[in-house]
Amino acid sequence: MLLVMSRSDADPGAAFRVSTDLVIETPENVVLSYRLAGPAVRLLAYLVDLCLRIVILIGMWIAALIGGIVAGGVTMGMFLVAVFLVDWAYFGLSEAFFRGKTLGKHLFGLRVFQEQGYPATIWGALLRNFVRFVDNMSLWGVCFVTMVVSGRFRRLGDLVGQTVVIEERRVRVPREPIILEKIRPLSRTELGSYVPSGQTLALIEEFLGRRHVLTYRRGHAMAFVLARPLANRLAFSGDPHMVDRYPMAFLAAVYATFYQVHEGEDDEDSAARPGAGRVRREQPVGAGATS
Amino acid sequence: MNKRKFVARRAVAWHRFEQLLDRLDTISLRRFSPAETAEFSRLFRELCYDLSLIRSRDWGRGLVSYLNDLVSRGHNAFYSSPPGNLAQVARFLAVGFPQLFRRNIGYFLTAAALFFGSLGITWAVVQNNPALATRIVDAQTLRQAEWMYSDHSSKGKPGSQADDEDWQNAPDFAGQRSFMAGFYVLNNVGIAFRCFASGILGGVGSVVFLLYNGIFIGALAGDIIATGHSEKFLSFVVSHGSFELTAIAVAGGAGLMLGNSLIHPGQRTRLESLRVRGLEAIQIACGAGAMLVIAALIEAFWSPSVAIPNPVKYAGGGVMWILVFVYLSTAGRWESKP
Repeated sequence: MLLVMSRSDADPGAAFRVSTDLVIETPENVVLSYRLAGPAVRLLAYLVDLCLRIVILIGMWIAALIGGIVAGGVTMGMFLVAVFLVDWAYFGLSEAFFRGKTLGKHLFGLRVFQEQGYPATIWGALLRNFVRFVDNMSLWGVCFVTMVVSGRFRRLGDLVGQTVVIEERRVRVPREPIILEKIRPLSRTELGSYVPSGQTLALIEEFLGRRHVLTYRRGHAMAFVLARPLANRLAFSGDPHMVDRYPMAFLAAVYATFYQVHEGEDDEDSAARPGAGRVRREQPVGAGATS
Repeated sequence: MNKRKFVARRAVAWHRFEQLLDRLDTISLRRFSPAETAEFSRLFRELCYDLSLIRSRDWGRGLVSYLNDLVSRGHNAFYSSPPGNLAQVARFLAVGFPQLFRRNIGYFLTAAALFFGSLGITWAVVQNNPALATRIVDAQTLRQAEWMYSDHSSKGKPGSQADDEDWQNAPDFAGQRSFMAGFYVLNNVGIAFRCFASGILGGVGSVVFLLYNGIFIGALAGDIIATGHSEKFLSFVVSHGSFELTAIAVAGGAGLMLGNSLIHPGQRTRLESLRVRGLEAIQIACGAGAMLVIAALIEAFWSPSVAIPNPVKYAGGGVMWILVFVYLSTAGRWESKP
């Protein structure tokens, strides 16, 4: 139930990929991926909103009672209008005017998106929340069934309103995982002529950066999967003990040996890289378009 | 280009972009100074480039998801739909809603036939045979309704002026009217929206709502007339009935639109058809909601007023029916169709 087929127009291969990501291609020709929010977290956000709405109504009720001393009917009339608004407009207006968020969604980092990849429009938000009336039938039964059947966790209201709910992640810049000074590079005499690709080095770097989530033994066991073939490919003739017993150390040493190799491509790279120069030249155009 | 060098060179720009985004969480993009807007735009496109570069080089998921997050936040800030304002609401009610309504007039006519048809038939049947009313409406509600429209006195003719004036001069008359206005908004607009939303179940929900309300209202009306309260009842309902009953049919029609888009998708897939017509249907339903708010105000402050003589109420009611007809049939015609 946690995995759905993700169908995306931006990426034809995605029809066969099982993932909970929503892939959107922006006008800048960049492919962005969002993580879709599942039923559980959305139910929690809904319950938070429900509590908030009840609290608002109780507050309004008390205010109406107090105001009722002066003008009974008028305040009660306003209270009834408030009941109507909380019932029918709370979700819709909140999602339309706070970039696809209600308070409950905000607490759980959820956001309502149009499927085309921008925050919910007013009609999309209103539509998905009017149809909530049908979704809530039979104790959210309609809602859960359509979520599972439709893919991308879309309930009936989402299907009509062309919306999806995504989970927002706040991500930090990955730390530098390897302190190069502490690692002795491998001796060139122990190696053949093969040079690992930048991709392989990036993989090593990422693996070592996340090694603290694994136990010591498990980390070495996983590192071995890469270390052994890599040692063969490099024709590594040094201490075989190092590859078999401490594959993580071996990978770190490989990284320390080769991370500067790709440095040489630097000049040719920046010549072949049109973006850096072009983007700066485009600056006045962008400024004109947005101001 | 080495990953480390690249990150070291670009990290400054990323952090700067992050700062701008954090500022955007508290203020809107329009409050940015021109220089900030220009910087935001430039950094946004630079980061787009960085992201695709890192993706193509396969420089690690951590970096990709970091930049993906930044770019998507920038994308949202950049492309979020502008907030609506009152002018747009006014324009929607003056032009957009009536135009959409006319373009989908068939659904309204179907809904109106269901609603007014069932209402009229039940009314006629119950008026001729009041005993049938209890089969539809429970006895207590009936007695309550009869009491509401009776003169609260044993005499049939308006010798009951005293009673009515007492009621009007009571200190809380205005308050009671406001209370009822709130109640009408809550109840009637709620019914209209439910009637619309349940249309997504193949239109069945809307049909049920339309028939139920038509039969219920018809039975009440027939019973009240049959028990001899016609004068007060008709003068009460004639004015707000124009907006109220029409709006219920309009909302029901929007619901039928949702249902029919699933039943007859035409050249589109069912999902696509639901989306395209759903976007129109929601706008029509919101227009119906606005009409019901007007109806609630009339029903609360004009219809029950005893200060206004009945002939004036009939005349006013007639004007309102014409107004509704003219509004729905001509408003927005001066604008070219989108």
